[in-house]
Amino acid sequence: MSTTTDRAASQAAHTWGGLDDATARALLEEALGAATGDGVTFADVRLVEAEEERLYTDLRGELDERREHNAGFGVRVLRDGVWGFASAPLDGPGTAQAVARRAVAVAGAAAGTAPVVLAPREPTSGTWAVPVDVDPFAVPAGERHDLLQRIVRAASAPGLVRSVTAGLNAKRQHKHFADSEGSRQSQHLVETGAMLLAVAADERGAQRRSFPNSFHGNTAAAGWEYVLGLGLEDEATRVGEEAVALLGAPQAPGGTADVVIGPAQLALQIHESVGHALELDRILGDETNFAGRSWVQPDDIGSLRYGSPAMNVVADPTVPGTRGSFAFDDEGTPATRHALIEHGVLRDVLSSRDAVARHGGATTGAARADGWAWLPVCFATNVYLEPGEGSLDALLDRMGDGYYADDNRTWSIDDRRMAFQFGTEAAWEVKNGRRGRLLRGFSYGGLTPQFWGSLEAVAGPEEFKAYGMPCGKGEPKQWGFLGHGASPSLFRGISTGVAR
Amino acid sequence: MTTTSSLITSTDQAVPAVGADRAVEACAAAVRAAKAAGADEAEAFLSGRAGGYTRFAVDRVHQPQDVHERQLMVRAVVDGRSARVATTDLAGAADAGRRAAGRAAALASAAGPLAALPAPVAARSVPSLAPEVLWDPRTAAWGTPERVDAVRSLMGAARTAGGEAFGMLGRAVTELAVVDAEGVERYAAATEAYGSFTVRVDDGTSHWVDLDRRLDVLDLDAVVARTVEEAGRARGRVDLADGTYDVVLSPLATGELLEGFHAYGFTGDAVADGVGSVARRRGERVAPETVDVADDPQAVRGLPFPFDPEGTDASRVPLLDHGVVADAVTDRASAARAGLPMTGHAHIAREETPHPAPASLTMAPGTASVDELVAGVERGVYVQRLWYLRVVDPAATTLTGGSRDACFLIEDGRLTTPVRPARFTESVFGVLSRVDAIGADVLAQPLANVWNGAVSAPAVRVRGFRFGSAAPGAPTQDLEEETA
Repeated sequence: MSTTTDRAASQAAHTWGGLDDATARALLEEALGAATGDGVTFADVRLVEAEEERLYTDLRGELDERREHNAGFGVRVLRDGVWGFASAPLDGPGTAQAVARRAVAVAGAAAGTAPVVLAPREPTSGTWAVPVDVDPFAVPAGERHDLLQRIVRAASAPGLVRSVTAGLNAKRQHKHFADSEGSRQSQHLVETGAMLLAVAADERGAQRRSFPNSFHGNTAAAGWEYVLGLGLEDEATRVGEEAVALLGAPQAPGGTADVVIGPAQLALQIHESVGHALELDRILGDETNFAGRSWVQPDDIGSLRYGSPAMNVVADPTVPGTRGSFAFDDEGTPATRHALIEHGVLRDVLSSRDAVARHGGATTGAARADGWAWLPVCFATNVYLEPGEGSLDALLDRMGDGYYADDNRTWSIDDRRMAFQFGTEAAWEVKNGRRGRLLRGFSYGGLTPQFWGSLEAVAGPEEFKAYGMPCGKGEPKQWGFLGHGASPSLFRGISTGVAR
Repeated sequence: MTTTSSLITSTDQAVPAVGADRAVEACAAAVRAAKAAGADEAEAFLSGRAGGYTRFAVDRVHQPQDVHERQLMVRAVVDGRSARVATTDLAGAADAGRRAAGRAAALASAAGPLAALPAPVAARSVPSLAPEVLWDPRTAAWGTPERVDAVRSLMGAARTAGGEAFGMLGRAVTELAVVDAEGVERYAAATEAYGSFTVRVDDGTSHWVDLDRRLDVLDLDAVVARTVEEAGRARGRVDLADGTYDVVLSPLATGELLEGFHAYGFTGDAVADGVGSVARRRGERVAPETVDVADDPQAVRGLPFPFDPEGTDASRVPLLDHGVVADAVTDRASAARAGLPMTGHAHIAREETPHPAPASLTMAPGTASVDELVAGVERGVYVQRLWYLRVVDPAATTLTGGSRDACFLIEDGRLTTPVRPARFTESVFGVLSRVDAIGADVLAQPLANVWNGAVSAPAVRVRGFRFGSAAPGAPTQDLEEETA
């Protein structure tokens, strides 16, 4: 239970900027009032104010600090059954009406193409805020700089570490939403993260290690307390030492092997081969030209065997603390928990109102947009592999001989999210359930259903880790910010190595 | 088709999102305020984009978008420590400048002063871009109504052939203003026409992308007919057996192969760190003389632009100069650290530290038609598109990815059986070393996550390209039929 002081700290972290709920509500009504005219049957408005701060440093001690603020409208209308969308930054009185009129005009120009239908949904109103213990925007420059310097020193202690980049990031958002069906919502988000990357190099080549994740670090829906809980200095020491050790490590062999995949790598595997594959707009073909389609067909939903009985995947933005946590998606659908895959069978997908109306059923609330400037599309929310039981050591013991691999180094998957090849920064040989030699250049690949079909066991909740990831989709590409998580998991007989 | 009509006006006429006077004045206000607040140095840039994007799928315009974006970013330096503050609120430009100075001072207080880098070598002199290179009135007039008309025709052509079309036609105006405390004051605005679509007929697909300042370069009438025909011809795909083939890479595939050049050490940062191709292999021949790869912001094809967000003239940088490892692109800081000239390649991406980056990759065309390239292959593969390329080993320039869309076996100099997507893991320098002929026609495509980024390239013929799945023996069968 939170104390009065905790609640005050949390509230303070959301008291910033120029768009309090009352001001925003008035602007939303202005926009909705202008998003009208002949044939207009629906409109929604997103008004978003965001501020982001990043501080990076490196071995040279140079600092790069950035604080970026933006605020603007995105207005979407249905006119004679055709979408129109317009967006613009807040630019004084009249912005709301101007953007709304542009959206109506855009829809009018596309009249006569096949009509859009929205799945019915009851209007919902409310306010929600991410719990924050320590406002990351209130942490003094000296404290942030000192932490980064300690990390860099620890990671660069071994002489062969040639490059270290360390960074801290925080973002806060006021997201306000209204639609013509009566929904009125305000969400106040705060996220905080850190990254560390060390590269060791000598005549044998260059090797990298990272923490807490290899792609842009890791970010959580929380305050500065998240960074303090990472144990960055200790991890930095390990990262530097492992980067150097990899220089002399043998190349991981190719073939067929049993592998325990760690949670960071598995989070990316879930993202690429489950999350994207289950976006309903993609399954229906909307993204065919660029991001691609899915190996899942519309009729598969509800019955397709996606993986082994050990595979249970959930989309749940109501879980606090992740980059995919929210109370309402970006078209106003309340967040709820959805089982996507149960005991290896596909039960549901990530959908929006537009997409689900073409397929049937109710939306799973996965319409998401990058700020105010872009249209909501189907993106993963907080999609994770449900834990099983037991420790990592118990899982390695169950495997016997094989490999333990974690932390992504490279990734590639085809446009149907079927055939993939991933590489990890590090892997260890496992014999008789015990970790042995460190190996460099570990890669594995396969086909999505066969790979997930080889999942034998998932470690317990005590080994579970959550990761916040950026992602891209759409044309022009917009960013999505998602949560994924997993416990270490045992896969039997997967293909390792790279064919050259 | 109405896309290349002689219309130069539209009810939806493109204009810059901000405009020259307002953009320059906002930057100047930010710089003045930063200096007044105690900054030793200050500079600001404003980037704006007004984009109209008409996305379509089958029979719907499913995402018609009219997106206006802008960002003013001011950088202030106090005792060698710098901080940047950015905003979309141009009325708050001066406040952004003051806050940047205050944050830089706080960093200097916390971290101590930092000695200034040596002054970088001056940028090369670059001729001015002619106004007509940046601004095309026909592109500016390619409004939503005109693009929707083109989309209707395109979807209709696909439907007539028994297929479906998916993609996007877009038009944008990009603008950039830069002001610093030393008197630099620059502004430019440029049009952009973009088309990208895929036609699907049964299991056959074909894809096309192009972008340019000039609408007519896209030649939509011709590419729609060709893409629909290719999709029909690509029906009945079979698996491609693992193995090494002579390949003809289409202009799109060649361009995609070049997208990762920044990762191979062609930046000032890599040179300063002593890693990568330019630091370690400069002067080494890695490809035939005909393979000429550069970053050329002055090239008319693609998205030419005269300067970067630091206000530096953007100049042509040879990367592989007639097959020989040559130079690196730089921003101001990396030029100073590496002792290289400034080339005008400053780049500030989201969630990344600022760093120099190639933004106008070009490969020089040859003289052959694609048919002539194919005619020189006895047994091989034509590759229309590459997909999801990721660097595996930057030192070896190795990447992995897959083929996609209209790919065919080549037998006795002719395209024959269509083949399904296949994975490969190859060294880019290795592939380029085996190029023995280059096509005449060039296509341009966006460079992901790079401001105003584009890569333009011709088709190439490569003697020896290895296709193979992640591990020998892994099944590569397309499972679509099993799951339909």
